[in-house]
Amino acid sequence: MSELTLLVLQLGFLLLLWVFIFAIVYALRSDLFGQRVRKLQSEPASSAPAPAASSFPSSPVTPAPAALGAPVAAPVATSGHDGELASSENATRLVITSGTKAGAEFPLGRDEITIGRSSDSAIIIRDDYTSTHHARIMLWNGRWMIQDLDSTNGTFLNGSRVTVPVPIPLGATVKVGATTFELRR
Amino acid sequence: MSDVTGTPVATGTPPTGVRRIRMPQKLRNLEFWLLLVACFINAAAIVLVQLGAMRRIDTQLVLLGAGLSALVFGLHIAMRFVARDADPFLLPIATVLNGLGIAMIYRIDIANGEGGWESAAVRQIAWSAIAIIAAIATILVIRNHRVLFRYTYLAGLVAIVLLLLPLVPGLGREVSGARVWIGFGDIATFQPGEIAKIALAVFFAGYLVRNRDSLSMVGTKFLGMKFPRARDLGPLLVVWALSMSVIVFQRDLGTALLYFGLFLVMLYVATSRISWVVLGLTLFVGGALIASQTLDYVGNRFANWLDPLNPERYEQEFGGSYQLVQGLFGLANGGLIGTGWGQGRPDLTPVPQSDYIIASLGEELGLAGVFAILALYLLFVARGFRIGFAGQDDFGKLLGVGLAFVVALQVFIVVGGVTRVIPLTGLTTPFLAAGGSSLVANWIIVALLLRLSDTVRNHPRLVIDG
Repeated sequence: MSELTLLVLQLGFLLLLWVFIFAIVYALRSDLFGQRVRKLQSEPASSAPAPAASSFPSSPVTPAPAALGAPVAAPVATSGHDGELASSENATRLVITSGTKAGAEFPLGRDEITIGRSSDSAIIIRDDYTSTHHARIMLWNGRWMIQDLDSTNGTFLNGSRVTVPVPIPLGATVKVGATTFELRR
Repeated sequence: MSDVTGTPVATGTPPTGVRRIRMPQKLRNLEFWLLLVACFINAAAIVLVQLGAMRRIDTQLVLLGAGLSALVFGLHIAMRFVARDADPFLLPIATVLNGLGIAMIYRIDIANGEGGWESAAVRQIAWSAIAIIAAIATILVIRNHRVLFRYTYLAGLVAIVLLLLPLVPGLGREVSGARVWIGFGDIATFQPGEIAKIALAVFFAGYLVRNRDSLSMVGTKFLGMKFPRARDLGPLLVVWALSMSVIVFQRDLGTALLYFGLFLVMLYVATSRISWVVLGLTLFVGGALIASQTLDYVGNRFANWLDPLNPERYEQEFGGSYQLVQGLFGLANGGLIGTGWGQGRPDLTPVPQSDYIIASLGEELGLAGVFAILALYLLFVARGFRIGFAGQDDFGKLLGVGLAFVVALQVFIVVGGVTRVIPLTGLTTPFLAAGGSSLVANWIIVALLLRLSDTVRNHPRLVIDG
């Protein structure tokens, strides 16, 4: 076994070690650079949700026909509840009111709910407007609060941008990206 | 399979009432391939040690290493059943670090002419096996990390008892000045402080979740920071007194720094107040400075750190800088790509297989190898923080950050000490260094982080595709 062979083997070993590290880093790339953004234009209107999705770039003032009713109906619902704040006692579910999954429900437990493009989130929203870690809804002194996690496009509660954690009234419209939802009994 | 509680990602439909579909285990398959590479690296390291030091291949230790790989795959298979969504990177990283440690310990055994079943490498393999079995047991028994929240104060009690054990007459053993070991008969066998760090992380997480409001809400503003009220300083002072008593009675600077740093970081994460860190660091640095003036062994450490190449210090018989300087010479001898496995002289440094294993590895693998090892630690710790960050409950968040940080701080204290960034203190390098208690503790940390990451991903969720 010559010195040269050993040197080559040593270099090979170090190389292998670094290949292992870069394999892990490559598998982790979404952690470092954020989740991949879906290109809406590149996906032609072949699947069912495509018509609704293609209308997202337009402003929320003119939503897709499928989602038309919800944002208009939400303020009505809010005034009906007289702005009663959502708490662990009176709110049991989170209902998606517009977007591709309008009508879907999410149960409210006692844990916080993270919203974002990241696959770690409890509510994963994969569209162009949602940040990797966009917002979170958490229980604070028995009240459900929403906090914006420095998202690029902001989180809106009844149309106004959320800057500090604020309590969510029952039935108030929360908007993240192109999706709106509200907390209900 | 019947008791798997995982709900697969329910695309679009609400998670309630969703029937369980058999999903391809993408994460576990990724882990499998990474583990294969990891085991290949470990086998290559042992073979290269034999070629470099003895110019022949001895199959006995390679076979023992293969047995270890089998156990790691056992953990992997256990996770396929009980933690399907756990993080796929922690296990391969820990495996590589453990394997590199075994190869280096084996290399030093060869240099010291030790072999057979009594050698340090075989003991290390046996301890690794025990540690991995402990990790498998942890992941099988603890199905939800929130069980630990219930035992917050019990964990605190266990930590105190473990810390006090070495001071019990007849049970405690003193090794090179530090009284942190317990043993039966003549040999020192176990360092209970290593296990105590897990109990402390559980206790701190549970305690801070319960009490953080009083620690974070009130206070007076001073120098642009919000300082806590005097009466809320109690917990900080108690942990400070605990670490100071570790310095005085167990004569172990590194352990004290580890526990105090862990508490400080968890307190900061729980309250997001920088004033706690400022107060805590002031207290600790103050205490350490007083200790360096009054306690001989601490004073020696500081003097060696500041002036190691002084011939007087180098030749001093006890408490001199001989070890530190030998380690630095070894690292310098390694250069960029190292002398090669089995071709350096790491055995010239005292305790090259435990406290100084990073210097030994630095000599034989060079800067490229040491940076690879540090990158592995970095990835491990980053995964831990990530698991903490993604957690849905506060206890899990704090526990994840605490467990990851305790590994990071330990690496910093050891590597910083060896490379003369901070005064040298005796701590084991996680996964690498020879020592059973350290291996068991760190593999349990791996198991807990895996369990946490599985719970995080298993949470009910809703996917909205734009």
